Amino acid sequence: MAKHYAMVIQLKKCLGCQACTVACKFENKVPDGQYRTKSPAIGPSGTYPNVKVFFEKQACQMCQDAPCVKVCPTTASHYNKDGLVLIDSHKCVGCKYCMTACPYDARFINKNTGTADKCTFCYDTRLTKGEKPACVTTCVGGALLFGDANDPQSEVARYMATHRTEVRKAQFGTRPSVHYDYEGVK
Amino acid sequence: MDITWGAGAANPVIWGWLIAVYLFLAGIAGGAFLTASLTDLFKKNGQARVIRSGAFLAPVAIIVGLGLLVFDLGRPLSFWKLIFNVNFGSVMSIGVFIISIFTVLSLLYAYLVWTSVKVGSKVQVRVGRAANETAATKAAGTVGGRGIVAFLGALFALGTATYTGFLLSAVSTNVFWSTHLPGIAGVPFLPFLFLVSALSTGLAATLLGAGTCDDLTVYKKIDIVLIVIEILLVAVLYASVRAVFFSGNLAALFWLGVVMIGLILPLLLSLYGVSRHKNLVLPSCSLVVIGGLALRCFVVYAGQLFK
Ligand code: SF4
Ligand code: SF4
Ligand code: SF4
Repeated sequence: MAKHYAMVIQLKKCLGCQACTVACKFENKVPDGQYRTKSPAIGPSGTYPNVKVFFEKQACQMCQDAPCVKVCPTTASHYNKDGLVLIDSHKCVGCKYCMTACPYDARFINKNTGTADKCTFCYDTRLTKGEKPACVTTCVGGALLFGDANDPQSEVARYMATHRTEVRKAQFGTRPSVHYDYEGVK
Repeated sequence: MDITWGAGAANPVIWGWLIAVYLFLAGIAGGAFLTASLTDLFKKNGQARVIRSGAFLAPVAIIVGLGLLVFDLGRPLSFWKLIFNVNFGSVMSIGVFIISIFTVLSLLYAYLVWTSVKVGSKVQVRVGRAANETAATKAAGTVGGRGIVAFLGALFALGTATYTGFLLSAVSTNVFWSTHLPGIAGVPFLPFLFLVSALSTGLAATLLGAGTCDDLTVYKKIDIVLIVIEILLVAVLYASVRAVFFSGNLAALFWLGVVMIGLILPLLLSLYGVSRHKNLVLPSCSLVVIGGLALRCFVVYAGQLFK
């Protein structure tokens, strides 16, 4: 069966330490001032005694119906053989059409290359070597789970079978592969 | 920007004023070409100055527009890859071909118009009346080929003007850009709005280029009709999307730029002009052109600033 890489984010375990933000910058040599992932604070919201704040790790959601792939005029944005949305920087002209289409603000124009850039699930540097993404292995709170959702034995599949998870901005029908468990924070 | 506490939002405006001006110029080019070519094709003794103005304006506008587009690319020098890597599912990819063909046709048409002007005047100056007949036959010959170019060009001009709307409306994740015609879910709204605006601004710019010449009443009447249609479309847009899109900094751009300068004032001036002054072109046409630019800026920014 084809692979379907997926990530599960348990928000109540995230401390907002930004270790993932930094790990990703190390791993992928992301230029200064640009990010493939960040974990901004959502809130604080509400009034005492019900004030809430949590951190939401944001990056490419690896949509299975990706608007960025649909609009890309050069086919630089594409699904690879494992169903991941990746960018062929040789084909990309930097038109930014994909950025206007991505509802998750996941993309940016890499300052050094002039081409579109975003989270790859660390495909080339780690997944192909059987390792998990840098952000996942770094996560201090153990908030990030990663694996093949099509394999019922995988950590992500087992977690999703037993917990209620959501995808962000489901109204756009993008079918993301990054799932959020808001239990305990919302 | 503080990525932890600043909500991490990068600049939400991905396509800025360069793209807005490009969409505006593509509209001008399409509208100007249609004005010239339709005059050429359908009006016996079509007004030479209008044909010339539109024919020359179209390639200049589209080439400057494409220049802005290429300049806005992350990798301007790789623009040619757009031609060799095709994605039939991408509106932009299809648009690249429509606009490229339109650019070639508009250059060709401008050349044909230019040479026929030269042939006409030279023959007349040198040989005088005796040669008028030959000049006339020659001109008729060019008109044959020119007619085909005018016709094909007109189709691609329509395509170009409409494409600028489809480019934005195809972004289905952008609530504002992908607004549908009220009641008809499958039909996007922006292509209609941009087409009408393109026709109106292209016509206005062409008349500006033609300068005050013979009786332009027909064109002005067409322009009035276009402005009225555009007013209706803008009203429909206003009624069918959330009010937030017309708020904040964009409120002034919309009410002053799009509505007042671009629609109401020129409509009043044109009505006055048609009834009183045959050659009053400059004020109304300039306002229409400025309004067209305001419309593109408004739509491009509103879709990105408010989501
Ligand atoms: S999150 Fe954005 S960049 Fe990633 S696949 Fe979805 S639309 Fe594309
Ligand atoms: S910026 Fe690159 S990846 Fe994005 S749509 Fe344009 S060509 Fe495709
Ligand atoms: S998976 Fe890799 S590229 Fe994506 S956010 Fe994590 S570290 Fe960055």
